[in-house]
Amino acid sequence: MTTTQTVTAPTEKTPRRVPGESGMWFFVLFESLVFTSYFGVYLYYRAQHEAAFLRAQSHLDLWLGVLGTIALLTSSWSVARCVQTARVGRYRLALRDAALTAGFGAVFLTLKSIEWARQIHMGNTFTSGDFFQYYFFFTAIHCVHLLIGFVALGVLAYQLASPRRRSQEIVETCATYWHTVDFLWVLIFALLYVAR
Amino acid sequence: MGTTFNKRLLAVWLVLSAITVIYLWIDRSADDRGAPTASTVVTVSAITLALVKVRIIMREFMEVRHAPPLLCRLTDLWVVLMAAALLGMYFVGKAAA
Amino acid sequence: MKRLAWRGDPKRELWLMWYATLIFYNVFTVVFFVLTRTQPPAPPWYDADQATAWFAHRHQGLLVGFALMFALGGLSMTSTALITYSIRRMSVSRAFAYSYLILYAVSAVPGLLLICLAMTVGAMRPDRDPAIQHWLYDFGFLSFSGTMGVFLVGSLIWMAAILLDKNRVLPRWFGYLNLCNALTEVVVSPAWILDRGAFSWNGTIAWWINVAVFGMYTGVFITLLRNMIIREDFGTGPLPDLPPRKPRQRAAAEVAEVAS
Repeated sequence: MTTTQTVTAPTEKTPRRVPGESGMWFFVLFESLVFTSYFGVYLYYRAQHEAAFLRAQSHLDLWLGVLGTIALLTSSWSVARCVQTARVGRYRLALRDAALTAGFGAVFLTLKSIEWARQIHMGNTFTSGDFFQYYFFFTAIHCVHLLIGFVALGVLAYQLASPRRRSQEIVETCATYWHTVDFLWVLIFALLYVAR
Repeated sequence: MGTTFNKRLLAVWLVLSAITVIYLWIDRSADDRGAPTASTVVTVSAITLALVKVRIIMREFMEVRHAPPLLCRLTDLWVVLMAAALLGMYFVGKAAA
Repeated sequence: MKRLAWRGDPKRELWLMWYATLIFYNVFTVVFFVLTRTQPPAPPWYDADQATAWFAHRHQGLLVGFALMFALGGLSMTSTALITYSIRRMSVSRAFAYSYLILYAVSAVPGLLLICLAMTVGAMRPDRDPAIQHWLYDFGFLSFSGTMGVFLVGSLIWMAAILLDKNRVLPRWFGYLNLCNALTEVVVSPAWILDRGAFSWNGTIAWWINVAVFGMYTGVFITLLRNMIIREDFGTGPLPDLPPRKPRQRAAAEVAEVAS
């Protein structure tokens, strides 16, 4: 079905408003609660078996994790710029920022794949011990979220592409989803790579 | 107006990346001559720094800064809730060990 | 007094379906959590003898509970029907409703009936060869917990319909809650690989957290379907809002009437 929507006025004079749909904020809060419960379970078991977790954890490359995190933070920065450029009506620039977001997302995904390949090559799989169960679980479920994020970026770019659409609310909603994927990774990174 | 906003976002990105790089230093400082050792200080600071980053992402990137007070308070409450849940579960696990 | 109001009410079929849904979920909870005690699931690490003893120990409960499920399990389709109705009321293509209906009708087999069959077969002859009892035990629990994937696409279809809908049949936040629910269906998949820990079929993450999310999701959609019936105007345009306050006052009046 095709939709015709009025072009959102590129003004930001209204002082305080929820960025994007409030329904998406419900998702953000709910999904972070679900992840918090996963993290809680992980930390609880980790604290009980510190030695085994540490031994397995030492197989991870912190540098790779840091690079991935910065790639994802950069993608978040890009989509934040995209929202602002779209708001002032500079849609070509906004599309470029959306492309950059997807690009840095892809960099993150590539780094993740390299790390997975390395770990599996070293013999660390989902079934080799508690730590790697959590490692593969968290990275995989986050990866699913990221792939959905690419769908959200597609919706965002579709909105920006034609003057007939360009709903600022949808743009902000998609960006909010992408930032959620980003901040969930920030937590996963700290818990998997740095927590001792 | 657009350019001043972008400068702010750049600063936010720099801060977030800098905090990420601090992790490298925290990690090295915790090593006992290369062998990884358990450390409550490292775990607690890793979680705290991550939550600081989460709050910055929410406030700045997600534009909660410009949102109605309800959303500001709700997201802040969530950060506190996460901190309580994560640190709580960690210390309960340690006590049960 | 409610019965009087029902005469000539075009919504009575919808309410019939809705109450049937309510009855089903209550029967479901009683059968699985109380009568058969197959939820929370028994440990996945049981060996053949322990599984055999498990069947012997629950002989009566399994037979009575699942007999009830065989009799009333069909009621599970009332919620599917109402959800399909909700999608048909939306401004989206009928294809969404058809896919949802077929998907959930099919998924009732692995998601509900297989565990009832396997557990009843196991309970019928407690003196059977322990290896076969063990097989039935695994088959029952895995078919129930491990087949959540069939619900995943269904949830996503409902989500897409809600987000595309212009008739405001269901709130958009609930569309996103469908995504949360769909994602927990992914989380249960490691139950096929691990027989202990947080990701096994009775694990903290794969079972407890998932059930908490699913429970909330179910409670929310039953409430929202109720609201939809109240708001339904049998037209094709946007659904009107919930009438403000009126029902609550009437409910209060009814309570007062009953109390006096």
